[in-house]
Amino acid sequence: MNASIIDPLQGDFPEVIEEYLEYGVMKCIAFNRRGTLLAAGCSDGNCIIWDFETRGIAKELRDKDCAAAITSVCWSKYGHRILVSAADKSLTLWDVMSGKRITRTVLQQTPLQARLHPGSSTPTICLACPLSCAPMIVDLITGTTTVLPVLIPETCSELAPSSRNKLSDGAPSYSPTAACFNKYGDLVYVGNSKGEILIIDYKRIQVYAVVPISGGAVVKNMVFSRNGQYILTNSNDRTIRIYENLLPSKDEIRTLDSISENINDLEGVEKLRAVGSKSLTLFREFQDSITKIHWKAPCFSGDGEWVVGGSASKGEHKIYIWDRAGHLVKILEGPKEALIDLAWHPVHPIVVSVSLAGIIYIWAKDYTENWSTFAPDFKELEENEEYVEREDEFDLNPETDKIKESDVNEDEEVDIVTVEKDAAFSDSDMSQEELCFLPAIPCPDEPEQPEKCLESFSKPVDTNNSGSPLSEEAGLNGHLENHVLSPLEDDAGGTYVKRKRKPSEKGLELQAEKVRRPLKANGSNLQESECRNTGDPEPGRCRRTDGRKWRCSHNALPNQRHCERHLPKPRFHQLDENV
Amino acid sequence: MATSTSSSSSQPYRPYHHLKTLNAHQRAVSCVKFSNDGTLLASASLDKTLIIWSSTTFSLLHRLIGHSDGVSDLAWSSDSHYICSASDDRTLRIWDARASTGGDCVKTLRGHSDIVFCVNFNPQSNYIVSGSFDETVRVWEVKTGKCLHVINAHTMPVTSVHFNRDGSLIVSGSHDGSCKIWDTSTGTCLKVLIDDKLPAVSFAKFSPNGKFILVATLNDSLLWNYSTGKFLKIYTSHVNRVYCITSTFSVTNGKYIVGGSEDNCVYLWDLQQKTMVQKLEGHSDTVISVTCHPTENKIASAALDGDRTIRVWVQDP
Repeated sequence: MNASIIDPLQGDFPEVIEEYLEYGVMKCIAFNRRGTLLAAGCSDGNCIIWDFETRGIAKELRDKDCAAAITSVCWSKYGHRILVSAADKSLTLWDVMSGKRITRTVLQQTPLQARLHPGSSTPTICLACPLSCAPMIVDLITGTTTVLPVLIPETCSELAPSSRNKLSDGAPSYSPTAACFNKYGDLVYVGNSKGEILIIDYKRIQVYAVVPISGGAVVKNMVFSRNGQYILTNSNDRTIRIYENLLPSKDEIRTLDSISENINDLEGVEKLRAVGSKSLTLFREFQDSITKIHWKAPCFSGDGEWVVGGSASKGEHKIYIWDRAGHLVKILEGPKEALIDLAWHPVHPIVVSVSLAGIIYIWAKDYTENWSTFAPDFKELEENEEYVEREDEFDLNPETDKIKESDVNEDEEVDIVTVEKDAAFSDSDMSQEELCFLPAIPCPDEPEQPEKCLESFSKPVDTNNSGSPLSEEAGLNGHLENHVLSPLEDDAGGTYVKRKRKPSEKGLELQAEKVRRPLKANGSNLQESECRNTGDPEPGRCRRTDGRKWRCSHNALPNQRHCERHLPKPRFHQLDENV
Repeated sequence: MATSTSSSSSQPYRPYHHLKTLNAHQRAVSCVKFSNDGTLLASASLDKTLIIWSSTTFSLLHRLIGHSDGVSDLAWSSDSHYICSASDDRTLRIWDARASTGGDCVKTLRGHSDIVFCVNFNPQSNYIVSGSFDETVRVWEVKTGKCLHVINAHTMPVTSVHFNRDGSLIVSGSHDGSCKIWDTSTGTCLKVLIDDKLPAVSFAKFSPNGKFILVATLNDSLLWNYSTGKFLKIYTSHVNRVYCITSTFSVTNGKYIVGGSEDNCVYLWDLQQKTMVQKLEGHSDTVISVTCHPTENKIASAALDGDRTIRVWVQDP
């Protein structure tokens, strides 16, 4: 909506950590379709839904049956349902609005990743990739699972039989494979341990095509871009490959059938490979040839222009951003906590990463204020221009000045109700209602009693009635805010903004009460004089100063006046022997 | 009662007529607003209270008491559960408006250092924006009541603030004559629409699709296209010299602009033709606030101290 008045940005990718979110130990994250809500799975089995705009907790999905760590979170297409897979081999489907559990299925193996069918708004089918088994389609209502074929035997043209059992007996154990639905959920793309991508119709359990990846390394992740045009594979040979999807976005199966029929001279595996070459072509490869990093959680940006991959080698927290042409544009470096999950916001240039400590970091563009907006009749120039004035510009009575600037047709029809369709969400079905926001319920205030002290010291500010009351009040408020926040910040590492979100209102209440009580005592001091010597406007803060404007911002120890570092310590007298 | 000039739209214009008068405030009524679901009507007054009425029977449902000074503005949340009121006692209060539990003040937002004059929820209803005589615009978070941004927006009292359709922009108008557009998430200025010192901007509001801004100055009302920075339509012939009179869009049956006036009438203009189509008379003092029902062809208007009533007008069937 505001795209027309915001300057086109130089590079649409994040640069610095803007904020971090903390609540328990979070393991995996997923944005909803519009990026307004962020679901995070925790190590204690709960799923938290954050309101991404206010960076506050919107809902908590708690399940008493599940106490194991969450391995993956997935939203349904319009945001009404969330599928959560946990380390206790369960898959749980939640209804977001009510916060109630719909169904729970237990599998034979722990699912590392579970994805809901993207085609419908109330999906009942999901794709689960277990730890040591082939990916399977799970029907959440009935609980039946259908194992998908993973390997194409070279010798015979028969495909691996579909089994209704959960285990494939006697089959060799598979290393974890990756799988994902395509955009509308008609096909499943599976990457196996031989380094091949299989295109499977899961309804008929039929492999349509095989695309071998050069190098033949085990495929660890597979992700589609939002528009379904590109697919990304992350292989064990430390390379991220982008394939372009040649199939049309609808009716893929029919297209695959027709391609398959046209290739008459090949049989079996060869035929599948030929069909595969017509469905996917290699577009780009990304790797770090110097350090040969194993990539973690690679994904596309919302518009598919950027590819982002995370690196967790040696416990570092690095995010690499490439553009689609293959150039590495940025490396974001975070704190010394290994990265475990990564997601790009569907709309904005924001990246969210999860560290091993369970903290979510939000990376965004470093915005700078555009000062030229304050002077609307000035034009911003890219570079110096030679100004050529009009013939009569400096005349005393220039003719052209008299002509009024009325190039706007005032009788033109103005449309005030039609809403422009957002191009980024071109496939959104307007008839379906999308769940964008969870209602914000204001937390009730504490009872009226502490309000009296606030009123008493705000009165003298009132009577001053000059330009200063605003700054004074803001200053007092600022101190209040600082004091409330400072006990919560306990890490001194200062490369990023400290804005912790304390979600429990009880905690906030306690803090607020702690602040108000000392202020009550000092209220009278402020009324008497502006002099700061008699009363400490910030009790609880270390009193070490440099005599000028700086004061130590750490907390004083209880019953002390200074923080641990500035406590007056006994010093040892050195006996002066040299005199 | 009503003189109407015909507009050249396909249907002949059906004039509005007076339906009911609501008399329950002891002092001037400063603001009326229909809820977004159309079931309730809220009014704010200088007698320090707000009243919630049913919009079908027009019976008094709740009287919200708690402010220590007059109330200048109110806003409904999108789900019509909460009302936020802006008062001369420098605070904003969030009230629960539901019929069963209604009538209680849920939260008080403090921070402004002078009269709070205008308030609005964003469409997602997780933010509240308020403008005050202390020349700042503040963005508050509904859930915790925390003030997220303090924007030093103007050099004179801020008279109106409004969010656009997706909540990403805030437009603010002020007595210093300027109308500015701000980015909600960062609090930075994106555009300055008018920069002249005169006339003072008394009201600014986004159109329903967020592409245009309706600005009322102390001479006339203009419809601006903010991306090009040019105004497209001017609506005149009403009287607006002193007060900050609100106007609104009426889109339920043809596109109109409805606004109050200091000559005690409610004016209706055709949006495209810019002509005045009807003048609703009946109040005995300046009509300070008008509101349109979201689905029915109903208008409610409120007047100042000489009148103290709210009048409801409906269209002839």
